[in-house]
Amino acid sequence: MHAMSAPVPPLQPTSSPTPADVSDLYAEVFKKQPASLEIVSTGRLKQVGARPPIRDYIRQLWGRRYFLWAEARAKVTSGTRETLLGQAWLVINPILNGLAYYLIFGLILDTRDGIPNFLGYLIIGVFLFQFTTQCVSSGAKSIQSGRNLIRAFTFPRASLPISVVLRSILNLVPTIGAMFLLIVLLPDHETWTMAALLFPVVLVLQVFLATGLALLFARLTTIVPDLTQLISVAMRIWLYASAVFFSIDRFAEYPSIVGLMEANPMYMVLDAARDCLLYATVPDASTWIGLSTWSVGALLVGFLFFWQGEESYGRA
Amino acid sequence: MGEHDVDPFAQATVAVQNVHVRYRVPSTDAAERRRGANFVKRAARTVLGNDPKVLVRALSGISFVAKSGEQIGLVGQNGSGKSTLLRIIAGLENPAKGRVLAESTPVLIGVNAALVPDLSGEQNIRLGCLAMGLTPDQADAAVPEVKQLAGLGKSIYLPMKTYSSGMGARLRFAIATAANPHILLIDEALATGDAAFRERSEARMQGLRDGAGTVFLVSHAAQTIEETCTRAIWLNHGRLVLDGPAQDVALRYRKWAWAVAKDKPDEARTIIEKAFAEREQTHVQVEESQAPRQYNARHVRPSGVRSTDRKK
Repeated sequence: MHAMSAPVPPLQPTSSPTPADVSDLYAEVFKKQPASLEIVSTGRLKQVGARPPIRDYIRQLWGRRYFLWAEARAKVTSGTRETLLGQAWLVINPILNGLAYYLIFGLILDTRDGIPNFLGYLIIGVFLFQFTTQCVSSGAKSIQSGRNLIRAFTFPRASLPISVVLRSILNLVPTIGAMFLLIVLLPDHETWTMAALLFPVVLVLQVFLATGLALLFARLTTIVPDLTQLISVAMRIWLYASAVFFSIDRFAEYPSIVGLMEANPMYMVLDAARDCLLYATVPDASTWIGLSTWSVGALLVGFLFFWQGEESYGRA
Repeated sequence: MGEHDVDPFAQATVAVQNVHVRYRVPSTDAAERRRGANFVKRAARTVLGNDPKVLVRALSGISFVAKSGEQIGLVGQNGSGKSTLLRIIAGLENPAKGRVLAESTPVLIGVNAALVPDLSGEQNIRLGCLAMGLTPDQADAAVPEVKQLAGLGKSIYLPMKTYSSGMGARLRFAIATAANPHILLIDEALATGDAAFRERSEARMQGLRDGAGTVFLVSHAAQTIEETCTRAIWLNHGRLVLDGPAQDVALRYRKWAWAVAKDKPDEARTIIEKAFAEREQTHVQVEESQAPRQYNARHVRPSGVRSTDRKK
């Protein structure tokens, strides 16, 4: 219907004996072959591999939600598949981690830095920061490690970094369980108030932030592969800049440093989480506003930036 | 087989328009290292341990239109651009120039798509179906059929990394056809299967073509192409040598390959030049469709056609 083929004698002189002679002559003189013309219409055929408009893209992503979930679940368990204890490691590992910090900072070094309930402070900081680190560093590698899937199936590529975040969330569930267990069991008892109910909201904002960063770095590393080497260093600096092990009061004499640290979204996450869980206070409005701006901003920027590069990931 | 070629009602399913693909890849060629670069660049390369990048033209100026019901074989020596062409048609990579249009999303079965090696074959089936956009219910319904087509017995419950290349290829083929794709691209996937599987897979492909689908098949064995395809495309160094009925193209390719194998370069060149000269070049013109109208009178031609008439 739309594709009809008609022979096109290229540039033939009008006073020619027979078309066959001419095409032969043409081929002789110009070393060109006879050509046929095929006309196709974009009404029925669509360009393959083209980046869809953002709305369709989001719709396609939503359509793949089962795939994202299945992939994340499969990957979570595949890490511990060959161990004897299997999935139990997902719970044991964070508990052992927390106990190690208790051993070093609580018993051996005894550095409390004037922080009330230092162990809780430390454990919240370490565990929550670990989630962001995991999202950013595996998100940055997600295109590289998902190459098999990219070459095998057509799907919105944002599925890969998003599935990394989902996997980290699945990992976070037992980690948070261990965190609560340790906070309750280890010394310095805390009083639980309604403020603790705000903790899930903090987590949601942190997930937004981590998703945005995962998407952002997933594309950046396909442009500059060297970034994967830098990310681990950058994450370590960020860890120290987020007051995970120490109190921000240490820098009280340097208002500029304090200002910088307080503008840091991960500091806001940790600060808000500690306020909710340890100190029975509702976080400041300024923390909420700053954190929401960072999180939603990171998610929007990361998503749009990743979507713009949609056509480039096949070559990674 | 030939009857598909003349079917006037066959609809175009894939249109490849003047596609060019180029890669910049590092080369350890010593000549390349000496060439072109100044002292500073060469020193920097030595310090960083980088090899100079060379431009590889994987495909240049490929144009053709595939119709429904066709099974198109791609022939050519290793590195002639067959697999690249399939990846481009599948939309997994984008060409440097030109474009590819397709009626529906093409499904590619590649040689090196290992899916998720840690998961069992069964889990990979489910995951693959979901990746192609099936709902969990549809995926669950498709699993038994895929298992049967793959015919791996109890091995389907073992991790995919323990599979032999033939087993992996069978599973991938079975997964890819689960969604009943209209356009199926097969990259050497069936070469490793045994006779029983080959028969099953051919029946499956025939079924897809009967449903007005199009199958692309890459194979080094010209005989396979001759036996199963309706049309063949011969690629050499990223250029289209010949596009025509499978028997004719495959026969010429075999003669050429034989001449190359027997170290008769002159004879090989004659064959390829003759094929080049006799080739009918295809120009694909893409007509942007107007906003869909409720009713289009039969005698009212879209203006796009008229403008191309004028060009003639």
